[in-house]
Amino acid sequence: MSRRRDSTSYQWSARGFIAPGVILVAVLLYAPLLWTTYLSFTEYNGLGDPDWVGLANYGAMFADPEFFGSLGNTLLWVAGTLIVPVGLGLGLALLTFDLKGGIWLRLPFLIPYAISGIGVGLIWSFILQSDGALDQALALVGVVDPPRWLLDAPLNTVVMILASSWQGVGVNALLFTIGLQSIPKEPLEAARLDGARGARLFGSILWPMLRPLTAVVIGLSIVASLKTFDIVQGMTKGGPGRASETLALTMYKDTFVNSDYGLGSAIAVFLTIVTLVASVLYLRQQLSKKNEI
Amino acid sequence: MKSTTRRVGLLATVSVAALALTACSGGGGGASDGATTGTLNFYTDKAAWEPDFDTLSETSSSDVDIELNTTGYSDANQYDAFIRQSFRTNKSPGLFSWHTGSSLKELVDENLVAETTDIWDKAIADGYVSEDLKKYYTIDGKQYCVPMNIAYWIMYYNKTIFDENGLEKPTTWDELMQDAATLKANGVTPFYQTSVLFTFPWFQQLVAGTDPELYNGLSTGEVKYTDPRVVDIMNVWLDQQNKGWFSDAGSTTDPAVMLKQGDMAMINFGSFFGASLDAAGMTQGTDYDFFVIPAVNSDVDPNAVAVETGPLCTAENSPQRDLGMAFAEWWMSPDAQSAWSEARGDVPFNPKATVANEALSELGTSVATDDQLVERYFEATPTPILTVALEQFGAFNANPGDPLPFLQKIQDAADAYWADQGADQK
Repeated sequence: MSRRRDSTSYQWSARGFIAPGVILVAVLLYAPLLWTTYLSFTEYNGLGDPDWVGLANYGAMFADPEFFGSLGNTLLWVAGTLIVPVGLGLGLALLTFDLKGGIWLRLPFLIPYAISGIGVGLIWSFILQSDGALDQALALVGVVDPPRWLLDAPLNTVVMILASSWQGVGVNALLFTIGLQSIPKEPLEAARLDGARGARLFGSILWPMLRPLTAVVIGLSIVASLKTFDIVQGMTKGGPGRASETLALTMYKDTFVNSDYGLGSAIAVFLTIVTLVASVLYLRQQLSKKNEI
Repeated sequence: MKSTTRRVGLLATVSVAALALTACSGGGGGASDGATTGTLNFYTDKAAWEPDFDTLSETSSSDVDIELNTTGYSDANQYDAFIRQSFRTNKSPGLFSWHTGSSLKELVDENLVAETTDIWDKAIADGYVSEDLKKYYTIDGKQYCVPMNIAYWIMYYNKTIFDENGLEKPTTWDELMQDAATLKANGVTPFYQTSVLFTFPWFQQLVAGTDPELYNGLSTGEVKYTDPRVVDIMNVWLDQQNKGWFSDAGSTTDPAVMLKQGDMAMINFGSFFGASLDAAGMTQGTDYDFFVIPAVNSDVDPNAVAVETGPLCTAENSPQRDLGMAFAEWWMSPDAQSAWSEARGDVPFNPKATVANEALSELGTSVATDDQLVERYFEATPTPILTVALEQFGAFNANPGDPLPFLQKIQDAADAYWADQGADQK
């Protein structure tokens, strides 16, 4: 009897300690998520009360050809982010992890990581704007008619992906280096004794053993690129027209510029679902492969 | 020990729950506390003007015992969202800056702003404000808010460049076109343009200067953007684009700096732009000057000048409602407007105010007597149409070409907006 009472009182105090965290999560994370989902079924300009309109916002969203332009740009960001910062990060890690003093080669790549996305946008728009630093440098070497970096699509999205890679390569290289350093020495040495070098060593030993970490790095990159906002807002504001807009910018514009909170929320819900589905599918697939090793 | 642990756990639960409840409460808002003197909390998206409002506060403190506590937002969209959400709380502002046009109507439709009809009636009777300005503050026959500022959209030019090229202020459209051609021939880009935000002024100028009725029809939905007359006007613009008369749309350099360093000779901007040029180190009359842009079509008489006016409003449910209204009433007075003109160097709307800037004073007088006013495109156009129009003009500036596809996209947004308005009224 006494034990049972003790156990109950222990449970109650445990609940008490957990409650602040649970309430904070509920208030700060679940409540906004539910509110946004609710708003996506309403027409609401931020004033008065939302009017229920069912699926009208989703209908309007999918009927707008510009929405698919944004979706296309967002997918370009996903692909570009996987190829450039993740690819270069892996390359940098592979080339330097075994080198003496390799850290000094990796370190400079980490410095841009300390800058905010908007800061990166400002720096690169100074470089890439018409007649900006890059155009002036090109003029010095005789290029008189350089590409219009930020005015022509899809070139503007491509150069923005490169600008964002400037920031992202270092941290990916750091993560891959940690992964490479955690690979046990024995199988590596055994493979080398068997004559595996270069691509063969990478393909047969390093890559499979890096997979748990690659899964995390790629998973994080997918999520980060799906919500790309700050660098585009800082460099082109989605323009000219809507040529470089991403879904996150469309969501922001509809919500805070047009005060169409319902449509903005519908895009937010869509983006959340896409991000969740992409992450879950990807991680599931990776985890199951990992189990096979 | 156990009981202490339990108590701490319970305390934590209660305090967090209380915190959460506090955060959730506050809907609706209370009535005004009735005070008409004291410290008035003022919110504005003109963060750069905060020092000017602080200067003004000294005059309002001594005149009517109201001190302004100004909070300036530098991001207009963030500010907009903040004001909208504030009406749901008991902290809605006693004074805040806003926009005329559809943005003001939205607030009035929800009974969120205090009516100022009495203040307007008295100010007009006293000759403190022109009848002309009233229409921008009138919704369903009643007035709301008071004018914070008034700006005319005119042409600023680099005087040194004009002098070097032997040019004078143009008095007709043909002269302006000739000046542009001369400048271009001499290797100077005539006009400024951008691909972001301020993409509308040249469209506004060309349409209002060609046919003010057509311009007004666009804002009421009676005229379509794809109307052949609008297409013709866009083709005039395209022709000028093809002649290379506009600065690079991709430049993100401050336009005041661009005018100073001669990236272009002229820029069509609001009469508040002089302050930016002064800040860039230029002197009015020596380094730069301005002129009212002549009508494109000489039959447009009087000439159409775009006017921009931003309101100062009081939230109906603000605890500082009475204080805000007392300030609004004082704001209309010559004393307040003289102090504001001194602080900000802007055109005051009150003809009885003393104007610090002689040239702006003359501009105000000449526009009032010689020209007709049209509402600036930014306020005249309902927001959902405006957003698309600003994007499309930006795209046109970046990649000039057949105007119809650009106009069609704006018209699509206009069709959707007016259909929605029609549905709401039924």
